[in-house]
Order: sequence, then structure tokens, then C-alpha cells
Amino acid sequence: MQQQLVSVILSALLAAGLYATMAYGLAVIYGVMRIINLAHAGLMMLGAYVTFALFSRFSLDPFAGLIIVGPFFFLVGVVLYRIMGSRLTRSNVSPSIESLLVTFGIWLVLQNLAYVIWSGDTQSILTSYTLKSVKILGVRLGVPSVLVFLASVASLIFLNLLLKRTYLGKAIRAVTQNRDAARLSGVDADRISATAFGLGTAFAGIAGGMLSTMQAFTPDFGRSFLLKSFCIIVLGGMESVTGVAVGALVLAAMENGLAVYTSVPTSLQDAVSFALLFIALVAFPQGLPSLFTRFARRSFR
Amino acid sequence: MKWIRAVLWAAAAILPLIAPLFLDRGMLNDLWQLALAVILASAWNLLGGFAGQVSLGYSAFLGIGAYTTLLLSLKGVEPFLTLPLGAVLAAAFSIIIGLPAFRLRGPFFTIATIGVAEAVRVCASSVSFTGGSSGLRMPTGSFNFNLNYFSMVILAIAVVATAAYVKSSPFGHGLAAIKQDIDAAEGVGVNSNRFKLAAHALSAAMVALAGGLYAINFQYIAPTSVFDFRLSLSIVLMPILGGLGTVIGPILGALIFSTLQIKLLSIPLLRDSFLFIYGGLLIIVMLYEPDGIVGVWRRLAPVRRIFNAS
Repeated sequence: MQQQLVSVILSALLAAGLYATMAYGLAVIYGVMRIINLAHAGLMMLGAYVTFALFSRFSLDPFAGLIIVGPFFFLVGVVLYRIMGSRLTRSNVSPSIESLLVTFGIWLVLQNLAYVIWSGDTQSILTSYTLKSVKILGVRLGVPSVLVFLASVASLIFLNLLLKRTYLGKAIRAVTQNRDAARLSGVDADRISATAFGLGTAFAGIAGGMLSTMQAFTPDFGRSFLLKSFCIIVLGGMESVTGVAVGALVLAAMENGLAVYTSVPTSLQDAVSFALLFIALVAFPQGLPSLFTRFARRSFR
Repeated sequence: MKWIRAVLWAAAAILPLIAPLFLDRGMLNDLWQLALAVILASAWNLLGGFAGQVSLGYSAFLGIGAYTTLLLSLKGVEPFLTLPLGAVLAAAFSIIIGLPAFRLRGPFFTIATIGVAEAVRVCASSVSFTGGSSGLRMPTGSFNFNLNYFSMVILAIAVVATAAYVKSSPFGHGLAAIKQDIDAAEGVGVNSNRFKLAAHALSAAMVALAGGLYAINFQYIAPTSVFDFRLSLSIVLMPILGGLGTVIGPILGALIFSTLQIKLLSIPLLRDSFLFIYGGLLIIVMLYEPDGIVGVWRRLAPVRRIFNAS
């Protein structure tokens, strides 16, 4: 019994690392530009395929490949922003439906480009350690998911340092809080937006590359992860860094817990997280953190 | 000018009705598809175009309509008699979804509808009564293409007529007010929630009717065909392409869309990737002319005036 609980907690933690990586990309872009980036799914898919191409052409280890995938997708994001992002109207208040539809179009183009290039066949990356597992705290865990967790933590620490310690990070946070005020104090909001879009895209690419080591993928891959990422940032309150981590943990714990403790079939697992997205959007549009602060305010008055 | 417009509309309504006299079966099949596309696009436009609430979850309503008809037909009910029930069920579902979802604004509503549609799709493919991934087939011996053709065309005409009526009615003005500024609309006494729910239910019912007819003519449905995300996407794309919030826009969009669809699907390379072109169109339209073809036509007004004068 206790063993089972440990195993649920550990696998939830491992899943949460990956979930946080894919959700951060979405959150950074939303925070700075107020764009709901549906192309995130397409970029994750592309990340998986680029990692796959590096692996099969140059027999580059998928995790070493992330070092190339990250900067490459950063550039892709900056270029995308320069072409499209800057044409979209940005308001400080609420995201526009136009930007949503444009990013949706980008997603479709990417997805079907992948169909043309790589065909619709299911691909997977098989390394020497794909099927190996290690024993941690008495629980057997797949080596790829442990490595994915470590890589996620590394990239999240990198992001956190970037946001907290550098001028760029300060500027990103300033634009997130109030675009106009940031511009008044001399922040080049357009350039910051381009950088943030690049960062978000890089995180999408890295998340996709890491996913490709754990499961098979097709050009249609990414949609359920997109919805999960939304679920996370909605739970996490859209902008806050800790919020995203909390959201990722909640979602991963719920998924793993449901699989072990209830008889909900695994085929319905996705439906549960989509339903959670819906409930989260409607019930606490400000995210879980606001729920806590509201609660705290009430009880300390 | 007004009577020219009336004659054109009348011709557009009558032509498909007399088409069986001089077109062969293949062409009629294409026309049937066009009629389906017009219904889906015009019905979606009631909520998405008139009221500005972009929903990416309309495949759920088509699926509800199609499955109601098919499951009841398997029980021995006459297929056409099941259509109203499908419409009622879809309208009820739209209200259940709409009650919480309409509290969300703009893109958040859109995301919520994607979540609902995907949840419905996943559930439908894992429960047994939908036939799972292998789908279900209509009972044999009930197929009459001419009847199917006429019922789809008549439904299309009815849907477009309803859209035209709604557009100029107080209901339509309320929806337009919601689209422009929901707070201002509330301020002048529009009960935005009730208006959105009504538009959602009306369009869901229409889409479900089309779904039932789809099942009757196609004879086979599966969760992967009627609850497909690409279907929801195509439904959204047509009105955007033609011109959101107009009566003619969705028809133009449907015309382009189904023509492209038929042409593209015949190219082997593009069979899997035809959405590439739709994605490109979506980007171009949203970036350069959010009002679609109707918007381009309006921009050309000064040019047309020159031609008319000379």
C-alpha cells in the first residue's frame, strides 16, 4: 500500500517536470504578448521530429540533441514573431480571437508540412537505454522518464535564473505586468516580445524532443499535450512561474492517482484532463493561487 | 439593385432543386456535400459570426445528431423521424455546455470548447455503443439518394433563410451588440447570457439535423469521422474565409471549401495534408483581411463605383 503511494508520487513528480516544461512555453508567450499560442502543439511535434532527424541522420543522442533543438527553436520563434506576431494587435487587457486563429493556422501549416516531409507513419526513437529502468526508493522507473525529468528541471532552473537575475528577465517580467508602463520606462517591448516568443518556442521544441524519447509520435501528436498545457496554466493562474509548477503537479498527481486508485480506464484519462481544463477555466479563471490568496485573506481577517 | 439581389438569391435557392434534371449522380453528390458545408458554416456563423463567440467544438453536435439517427434506426425507427430528437438532444447539450462556458470571454471560451469537444471524442471512442473505433453501419434497405439529396438541400435553404431572418431581427441585433462590446450590450439591456445560449442552441440543433442526414446518406459513421477535430476546424474555417457575421459569407466559404476539398483530395500527395492550405488561408485571412471575401468585396467598392459610372 505504502509502496503504491510512493510509486504514484514519484511518477506524478516525473510527469510534472515534463508538463511544467511544456506549459512554461505557453505561459511566457501568454504573459508577455497576451497571445494564446495554439501553434505550441505544432512546435512540440516539430521538436520531436527534429530530435528524431538528428538521431537517425547523425545518430545524435536525443538528450544531447536538445542542446541543438533549444537554440534552433529559439530562432524559429523569433522568425515567426517577426513575420506574424508583430502584425497582431496586442492589448494589455485581454487576448484577441484573431491572434488565436493565426496561431491555429500556423499549427495547421506545421502539422501538414510534417505530413508531407515525414508522412503520417508513427515514428519512435529507440536508444540503448529506452527500455531500461532503474530502481529509486524501491520503485522501478524507466530511464528515459528519469532523464526527461532531470532535463526538465535543468531547463526550468535555467529559465528561472534568466527571469530573476538578468536584465532580459526583468524586462520580460515588466512587460508581463504592464506593457505600457514597461515601455514608458524604456523597455523595448517589441524586442522583448520577440525574445519571449523565441523562449516559449524553444521550450515547446525541448518539450517535444523530450516527449519523443518516451513515446511514439505522428504529425498529429501534440494536441492532447497542448490541452494539458492549457489546463496547467489555467490552474496555475496564467502568468506566475510557481503557479505553473503547482498546476503541473496537480494535473500529474490527478492523472497518476486516477490510474492507480480508480477503475477509470486509461483510454478515458485524457477526457478527464480535458474536463478538468473546462472546470478550471470556469470555476477558477484566476488560477489556483488566487484561490489560496482569497482563502488566506478570508481566514486572516 | 435590390431586385437584382432578390433574383440572385431566388436563383441560388432554385438551381440546386432542379439540378437533378440535368446533372449526373457524381455532380449531385458534390452538391450534396456543398449543401452540408453550407448548413454547417451558416449554423456556426449564428454564434461565431453574429455574436463573435468562436467555438471549436461543433463536431460534438454533428456527432450527436448522427449517432441519434443511427442508433434509433438500428432499433427499427424510420431514420427521418429521428432527426428532431437529435436536434433536441444537441440543443440540450449546447445549453449544458454553454451555461458554464459562456462565462468565459473571447479566446478562453474557444479553448474551453476545444476541451469539451476532445473530451466528447475520447469518451465516444471508448464507450461501446458508438461502435468504438470500428464505427457503426446503418440498417440496409433504407437508402434513397434522391430523398437524401433533396432533404439536405432544403435544410440548407432553410438554414440560410433562418440566418438571414435572424440577422435583421432584434435577436440578431442583440447578438451583434454582444460581438461589439459585451459590457455595453448588457448596459443597454441585452441579456447576453440568454442571447448566447439561444444562438448556441439554435445552431447546435441545425448542425445536429445535418448530422442525422449525414448518417442517413453516408450509411456509416465512427467516432473518428463525426467527432473529428478537423471537422470542427473546417466548420470554423468556412465562415472566416467567406466573411464572419454576414449571410453570404459562409455560403461563399463553403463553396470555396468544398471545391478545394474535392480537388485536393484527388491529389495523392495532399490526401493527408490538405489542411496545409487551410492553415495558410487562415493565416492570410486573419492577418490581412479579417472580414474574408466579403471584406475584399467591400474594399473594392470604390472600384465598382467607377465601373458603374462609365
